[in-house]
Amino acid sequence: MFRIPSEPRKNWQQKAKDFGFSFHSMYGEPYWDESAYYQFNLQQIENDLEDPSVEIHQMCLQVVDKVVNNDALLSAFKIPEPFWQGVKDSWRKHDPSLYSRLDFAYDGSGPAKLYENNADTPTSLYESGFWQWLWLQDLVDGNQLSRQADQFNSLQEKLIGRLHEIAGHYQTEQIHFACCQDTIEDRGTVQYLQDCAAESGILGPFVFIEDIGLGESGRFTDLKNNPIETLFKLYPWEFMQREEFGDYVESSQTNWIEPLWKSVLSNKALMPMLWKMFKGHPNLLPAYFEDELHLCDHTRIVKKPLFSREGANVSILEKGQEIAHADGPYGEEGFIYQAFHPLPKFDNNYTLIGSWLVNDQAAGISVREDSSLITQDMSRYLPHIILG
Amino acid sequence: MTRKRSKHINLNRMRKQFSAKPLAIGIASVFLAACTDNRQQATIYTSAQDCANENPEQAQVCATAYQEALAEAERTGPKYNSEQDCESEFGPNQCRQVERSSGSFFMPFMAGYMLSNLLSPNRYQYQPMFTSYSPYSPYRYRWIGAGGYDYGDLRKRNYKVRPDAFKPKPAVTRTIKRGGFGSSVRAKSSWGSKSSSKGGWGG
Repeated sequence: MFRIPSEPRKNWQQKAKDFGFSFHSMYGEPYWDESAYYQFNLQQIENDLEDPSVEIHQMCLQVVDKVVNNDALLSAFKIPEPFWQGVKDSWRKHDPSLYSRLDFAYDGSGPAKLYENNADTPTSLYESGFWQWLWLQDLVDGNQLSRQADQFNSLQEKLIGRLHEIAGHYQTEQIHFACCQDTIEDRGTVQYLQDCAAESGILGPFVFIEDIGLGESGRFTDLKNNPIETLFKLYPWEFMQREEFGDYVESSQTNWIEPLWKSVLSNKALMPMLWKMFKGHPNLLPAYFEDELHLCDHTRIVKKPLFSREGANVSILEKGQEIAHADGPYGEEGFIYQAFHPLPKFDNNYTLIGSWLVNDQAAGISVREDSSLITQDMSRYLPHIILG
Repeated sequence: MTRKRSKHINLNRMRKQFSAKPLAIGIASVFLAACTDNRQQATIYTSAQDCANENPEQAQVCATAYQEALAEAERTGPKYNSEQDCESEFGPNQCRQVERSSGSFFMPFMAGYMLSNLLSPNRYQYQPMFTSYSPYSPYRYRWIGAGGYDYGDLRKRNYKVRPDAFKPKPAVTRTIKRGGFGSSVRAKSSWGSKSSSKGGWGG
């Protein structure tokens, strides 16, 4: 695994414009960065990232199975009680899931260590599935990269296939897509999924989360008053469950993507639960609930809110003293603790690997860099290749 | 050598600047071109008279089916809270107001109806059709079903469709209330770092 400087494509910004990649730079800071790329060999990809991702996903499903059958655990996961039955039902009915992203610390050797599982609303999907694919294609076509160069990235292909399967499962030709207003990144992610849906022959109307209505029939409606039967929502379950329309989540009979049972996985309580069930697994870091902190004998630990996005409210503690901290609005539902395992450094950048799954299949990786140990949403996205 | 990346990506689909191709057109081609043997002949007529002109023997069926399609249009057709919203999708003077006990809304006039099995009077099937004259709409001069399916150019009248083209569409309902989702975001945003971040509630 190397970080290799690279000549940016001359026309990449125009290209980004043509393809509607509007959030490549934000507030003057670059987000998409092709002045370098990461190079992996095939063994690193297959043995150290792909296989463990599939295995961890299966372990996570075992956690879901355990949690949905145990009310004390549902409570420890801070899932509001009115949703317990819905979570159980959606798990027992095998409501299909679309995708998730596992975040790993990995430096090219040894086991990748799992930081967390973004199983409900992962972003950086467009950059991963399409934009870095196009980058590689362009560099190979322009003889800047060897024809042998490949990329671990079958995301788009698999998303198209999976959306088709989900539409088939619910016997529908239409999936509504939703995200919040005023976030061009989320809108871009959802537009990407709409494009994938269109490519698989599914109608994909869009509605903002804030515009969703409740119809006389009891179903949710879009702005044209059409009933929403199947909804992809880039909006976290833990928010929806605590909002006014949360009361209608079940009675609306909506087919949800991601399904309700994903609220077990997108929750940081997953980490101590994995450690309890698979203690010592090479890809796991020791992790503890708040009431188990006495079991933790690590000098450096990371404190994470149960619900958090993009590194917000994460702090790093050394012998109980905070040595790094990221601000944020989260934490009221409590915290979990994870043994500190630093991100590897490449040329002064801390590097985080996101490993994508579409349903239960490994589908590619994304690489993000931050100048801080805590990767946040202003980190930069770098492309990668496989060679050798 | 097996590749670990997507083999092919349809770049035209991904391009945003020149290809404002509405989604529905892609769907229609799937809908109509998925060639299986059970497709059936269907014709779109603009009125009961139009139907009777072509099928003089079946004038009565044409008229009955037209009334049925009208009722279906009102049940399943697109509905808007304002005349302006409706007209921007369907064109000037293409919308009418409908009064209900629960309130009023606007919907486009039915522009035609699709008929199949006209010659077997007990088994004929119908679906209301709409079209748009609005320059802002991807539906302009195209036949659109109540579910939003694009059947193609307004001049085309004869189709081969799958039987489920005639399945009843879900009724469009009145929306009682909006804005019940999204309050957490407003609360978390007021925390104030939005100006220095990309925003977004994904992770």
